[in-house]
Amino acid sequence: MPFRNRKVSKKDILMKSRVFSVISLSLVFNLAWSSIGWAQAPREETEKTAQHLALLLNVGRLIVERNQTLINDPRKGDKGFTPEVFEHEVVDEFIRQTHIDLKDLPTHLPSLAKELLPLLLESSKEVVADAQLVINQRGIGYKNFIPATFGSQAARKFSNRSHVKIKQTTLNPRNLKNTPDAYEENGLRRLATQPASDTSITEWIDNDTILRALTPIYYSKDCLACHGNPKGILDISGYPREGAQEGDLAGAISIQIPMKSR
Amino acid sequence: MIVGRSIMSIRSITRRLPHYLKELGSQGIVPFLIGLGLFLPGCGLVFDAVELVQPLARDEMSAICSRGQLRVGISVEPFRPFVFPAVFTDEGVRVTGLDVELIREVADALTTHCGGQKPIVPTLHLTRFRDLFIEMNEGHLDLFVSSIGGNVPGARPAGLWYSIPYFHNGGIGAMIQKPEVAERVRAQFQHQAGNSDTLAAIQAGLSGLTVAAQRGRTSHLYAEANLKNIRLLICDSLPAAVETKDPRIDVILSKHSILDYVTKHVWPDWRLLTRNDGTPLILTQESFSIVTVEEHRRLQWFLNNLLYRLEESGRLEHMRRRWLEEDYAPTRRATAEGLPFEVSKVPAHYEQGQCRFATER
Repeated sequence: MPFRNRKVSKKDILMKSRVFSVISLSLVFNLAWSSIGWAQAPREETEKTAQHLALLLNVGRLIVERNQTLINDPRKGDKGFTPEVFEHEVVDEFIRQTHIDLKDLPTHLPSLAKELLPLLLESSKEVVADAQLVINQRGIGYKNFIPATFGSQAARKFSNRSHVKIKQTTLNPRNLKNTPDAYEENGLRRLATQPASDTSITEWIDNDTILRALTPIYYSKDCLACHGNPKGILDISGYPREGAQEGDLAGAISIQIPMKSR
Repeated sequence: MIVGRSIMSIRSITRRLPHYLKELGSQGIVPFLIGLGLFLPGCGLVFDAVELVQPLARDEMSAICSRGQLRVGISVEPFRPFVFPAVFTDEGVRVTGLDVELIREVADALTTHCGGQKPIVPTLHLTRFRDLFIEMNEGHLDLFVSSIGGNVPGARPAGLWYSIPYFHNGGIGAMIQKPEVAERVRAQFQHQAGNSDTLAAIQAGLSGLTVAAQRGRTSHLYAEANLKNIRLLICDSLPAAVETKDPRIDVILSKHSILDYVTKHVWPDWRLLTRNDGTPLILTQESFSIVTVEEHRRLQWFLNNLLYRLEESGRLEHMRRRWLEEDYAPTRRATAEGLPFEVSKVPAHYEQGQCRFATER
């Protein structure tokens, strides 16, 4: 019996080792697959968050642009363009563009976006609050509270409060602080050769530890008063006009989100 | 009766005094008081000597150094090109102008004076012109700079000190809209046939006209003192005078260099009042100074010495040319070199105010 048993056990051992190998392989495969999936989810969430942040900053710029006539009206003192009015207009426009209500963020939104979108909205409101004295000066026309200056300040305030860096950048910046770094310069050159599109350049760099996203900004008709023709002639703020055409690449909103710091 | 009682009590104290002294002497208190009395007259000298080596009481200069901040008042009413209206820049809200550049110079010199370890940061307090003097007297400011004329009678409130001028070629000028006003004044000069008397020509030429000046500024003082036959309108600011339609203003008086700038760049409907040969008509000469309080002797010497050095080196002249003669956009300069500010005593919705007729004339 023990001898028979021994014979059987040899076969068993062979079988068992085969089964063990299959189970081990499937385990390794499952583990690898699940870890890829685990990494994939935060990456997608981070990319989505970057898109939403760029869009929100752009919406803020758009609201400032829409209110330029009011802001620069020299006959009015109190313009009524308060941080609350600004917020209301931003929220409405953001809903129109994304169907996302910034005042009641949907549950399906990435948690990172839920954390950062209100922070950017708050930073943007603070910029409008800081500018109240300038905006409400009567007798003064042009006040330089324009999409570019608003965007610079909102991005800076937001970046100082979070681990995420937002910056407006362009190949020929008027403000040297907006000079692109090597990555941004490369991305801007790529964007400049592509037809106008809302699609961002999104890449993971430094061994997939940092997300870099560049969302293009294009010149609208209103921008051309300062950035259009005649090229080289000084605009109202004293900078030489760029000679741009409607739809040309104006620059980009650059976002950096480090994965580790989450 | 009361006098009688007082005399009685003095007599009783005098009688008992030797006894008291004897008692205190036995306790060693009298020798101590005598010693202290002998030492006290020299105490001031000792105090002065110690202070020379190590200042005991902090003067205004050491206060600025330890604070690391220079508190500067600046007028919210724009006096272009000395102070431009605040604008928004990539760096936030900023003000710029010749006066602001001068403040930077003062702060830089103070940084050196304080040892250069940490920079002295100029903290601008933007406030109404009339409140600058109050803020200064209340000790909220170290100094203020806002194209303040120091050599016009009545311009210097008590308790304030004015530096040597940083801007000499100032003066009170006038701007007009209607050519007939200029013709009236020029006709007066023609009558003088070479014996030029600007005051007489202005008094006769502007007689019966509505003339506006900013409250508290030197143009206001000039008009009050010299132009008796005008209808004087006192305005809260220069833009308020320009905006006023009823009553219709014939002449606006202000600092010539300010009027020269605004007629070229801000209000092209207005023009400078000139002499028959086209040169600007200056009603009286005026120089601009930095203002601080009367007691701040060390700061006063520091400012005068600095301004003298800036004049000597040609730096002041360069600054004057840069702001008065060059073609530039103030917004761009505000972005590059403007200073941030704190707002005090200015309503959230700043308006340039109104004009009203002077009552007691």
